[in-house]
Amino acid sequence: MTLIGELSLWVALLMAAWSTTVSYAGGATRRIDLVNSGIRGLYATFAMILLAAIGLWTALLTRDFSLEYVAGHISAAMPSIYVFTAFWSGQAGSMLFWALILSMYGTIAIATSRKRNEELAPWATGTISAILVFFIATICFKANPFVRLPFTPIDGRGMNPQLQNPGMALHPPNLYLGYVATAIPFAFAIAALFAKRLDAEWLGVVRRWALLSWFFLTIGIVLGMWWAYVELGWGGYWAWDPVENSSFLPWLTTTAFLHSIMIQEKRGMLRKWNVVLVVVSFLLSVFGTFITRSGVIESVHSFAQSPVGPWFATFFFLATGLSVYLVGVRLKDLEAKAELESMVSREAAFLYNNLLLCGIAFAVLWGTVFPIISEWAGKPKITVGPPFFNTVNVPLGLLLLALTGVGPLIAWRRASVSNLKRQFATPAIAGLVVAIGLLAAGMRDAYALVAYYLCGFVAATIFQEFYKGIRARQAIHGESVFTGFVRLVGRNRRRYGGYIVHAGIVMLFAAFAGLAFRTEHDISLRAGESYSVKDPYGHQWKFVSQGVSYFNRPDRDVLAVGLEAFRDGKRVGIIPTEKRQYVDTQRQPLFNPITEVGIRSNAKLDTYVVLAGYIRDKDVAELRVTFNPLVVWVWIGGFLMMIGGLVVMWPQAERRKPQGGYAAVMPASRSDMEVAVPA
Amino acid sequence: MTSRREFFVRAASVTAALGVSGNAFAQDQPQKASGPMPMSSTVPSVRLPPKPNAKPLLTTDERDALEHRIHCQCGCTLDIFTCRTTDFTCQVSPAMHRDVIALVEGGYNAQEIIDAFVGTFGETARMAPKRSNVFAWFTPGAAVIVGAGALALLLKRWKSERTALAPVVLTGIDATPEELARLDAVLKGDDRP
Repeated sequence: MTLIGELSLWVALLMAAWSTTVSYAGGATRRIDLVNSGIRGLYATFAMILLAAIGLWTALLTRDFSLEYVAGHISAAMPSIYVFTAFWSGQAGSMLFWALILSMYGTIAIATSRKRNEELAPWATGTISAILVFFIATICFKANPFVRLPFTPIDGRGMNPQLQNPGMALHPPNLYLGYVATAIPFAFAIAALFAKRLDAEWLGVVRRWALLSWFFLTIGIVLGMWWAYVELGWGGYWAWDPVENSSFLPWLTTTAFLHSIMIQEKRGMLRKWNVVLVVVSFLLSVFGTFITRSGVIESVHSFAQSPVGPWFATFFFLATGLSVYLVGVRLKDLEAKAELESMVSREAAFLYNNLLLCGIAFAVLWGTVFPIISEWAGKPKITVGPPFFNTVNVPLGLLLLALTGVGPLIAWRRASVSNLKRQFATPAIAGLVVAIGLLAAGMRDAYALVAYYLCGFVAATIFQEFYKGIRARQAIHGESVFTGFVRLVGRNRRRYGGYIVHAGIVMLFAAFAGLAFRTEHDISLRAGESYSVKDPYGHQWKFVSQGVSYFNRPDRDVLAVGLEAFRDGKRVGIIPTEKRQYVDTQRQPLFNPITEVGIRSNAKLDTYVVLAGYIRDKDVAELRVTFNPLVVWVWIGGFLMMIGGLVVMWPQAERRKPQGGYAAVMPASRSDMEVAVPA
Repeated sequence: MTSRREFFVRAASVTAALGVSGNAFAQDQPQKASGPMPMSSTVPSVRLPPKPNAKPLLTTDERDALEHRIHCQCGCTLDIFTCRTTDFTCQVSPAMHRDVIALVEGGYNAQEIIDAFVGTFGETARMAPKRSNVFAWFTPGAAVIVGAGALALLLKRWKSERTALAPVVLTGIDATPEELARLDAVLKGDDRP
């Protein structure tokens, strides 16, 4: 099976090259036989890559240590779940995973939309296949998971223990599913530019795939935050690491696109801008993969340094060049009749939203690449860490939060004073109540107060919308609150799903603002000694060391300490924390020692304990105790965003009601107009 | 059964072992950036003579906050405080921490201590570019301002184009008053997605 897998990889390369060539030729000459051949070539590429993937999974699950990739990433004793996930834990495997997802997405996208988008299909197929050519060629020539060792070791090296976490099964695949999904809107955008079909037709398929990308990126990012929090021991969930940033960048631009596309659908505006956002989102995904894979920027993830960096850089610049050229030559075709009645309208709010999202994306990109720019300019290398990103992004983020409340409620075209009063009076008062309450409770951090004011404001706008909708259903249909809620969401999934996403965003911001009150304590304790400290809420904590213990497990040596925790004199329990040294069957050390964090979590506060060191001569454990307020709301907010994303994506909602954008296209005749007007 | 002593010897030697392990088995190391960890002896010490009648100007909390502003030089992306309280094997951050303590006890304030580290390690000792680095700090803000300016111009142009449009005189429309009324009603109800 391994051999078949390896061979099928090469066949896939040929198939993708064929599909690219004949699809573009078919698109240019409008020859249907070439177009069909190209599409079949894409399907065949998917089949071949699937075979290659099965080959690699077979090699992993059968522990075929003759393969360098298998020997380097798993061991005989590793649990099967992590053996399975080893597929994407290394360079070559993750590249194959990228290609697998892209070919699968491409196949689904073309199979489901070729009839509706006949003119775009060959160009889109050619573009997807061209991207596949790049990835498969990189795998074949620079990162081949089927390379064999000159000898077959008895056992493999195993997986880094930090990767042996449930997060490994979920975080990377979701990120990849999100990254790769940006390729489909990109392919259709390029197709629309090639085919000069820049009307609203391509928006349907592009929006669906952009939403899918956003959905998976959201899950991947939140899971990555959780994984970093529980596994790495930094004490936080976001460190503005270059690789974290590179997943955040396409998320920001895709979010911007999902808002601006509504203006195109509704008003036929922003055609150029939407094409640019689609293209930029894909390029940022490639950039993200480049950052992860090249090690060009110093990062905790630079384990993935390898020779594929220059390949990615070349591909990135080629894709950028082609996109810039095509957008440039089609600028006139992208001209749209744009009218704006008022700067106080929903269109304008979405434009401000786009400005802020792209501003944040630029700030993050700037901070990420600044060390390289500095070096290229012959200046000393400069570190750009959390202080920079927080200072620059917090004000922009707060403005964005404000627009999260304003955008969905303000009227299209022109908001009247009565509209503003009707929609925002209650939320503004709700926000004020929250802020005054916190001020009275002793909160003095200006940013946090503004953040909580805005959280109260946005939460109230969302609540108000659901309340009005449910009350209307109760009045008309006599439904219960629950039935009214379910049917309200079910009848307009796009709108109310969006509100659910916004509710998740509010929770995230509330949790982020809580970081302003985070406290850290660096303590040293002998067995039986205690340390007392107040948490950010003023509760008195006492930690009593249970002493350091040392023990062996078959696969690791463990140094552990337990802190018996008391809050306001009441026993909370023992919070254990460990340092683990993983060992092989000869009990030789594998990898760096790792931290097992002790976390005691509730809705208000996480008590986060890390064993930082041990002074053997004095039998003193060095520990870091961190009080992290409201962390649990990050996970709940992320989950809510995922639910909201699912509601929005549910296909029935779009089938039931034609999109506003199609109605916004100027009707060619009176009969068209009649169709657009519901009876 | 491995003794505790062996465990620590092992832990200290792991990094070096990783450095010499075969490239064929090179694998992911998410916690550290790259290469073997420099030993503390390879990192220069940051020491200044204590000031006359020196008294610490920083509390422990302020000292910890200061350590969050100084980049650990072990090759990671963390600050001194986070690295020394997270990474069991790092010998650089504890050494830098000792330097910070010595400087605090020597009567130096936060800025002087940062300047001392920058003097030894260069700009990479900071966790963020210095405030006077206008290029680094103000480019994102400038980009947003330029974007806002462009957007304002665009909005103004769109508004003026709308104003400039001559009112369309609808003559000879083949529609009944009822149909036009229905169309009008639909357009007026256009304030919902």
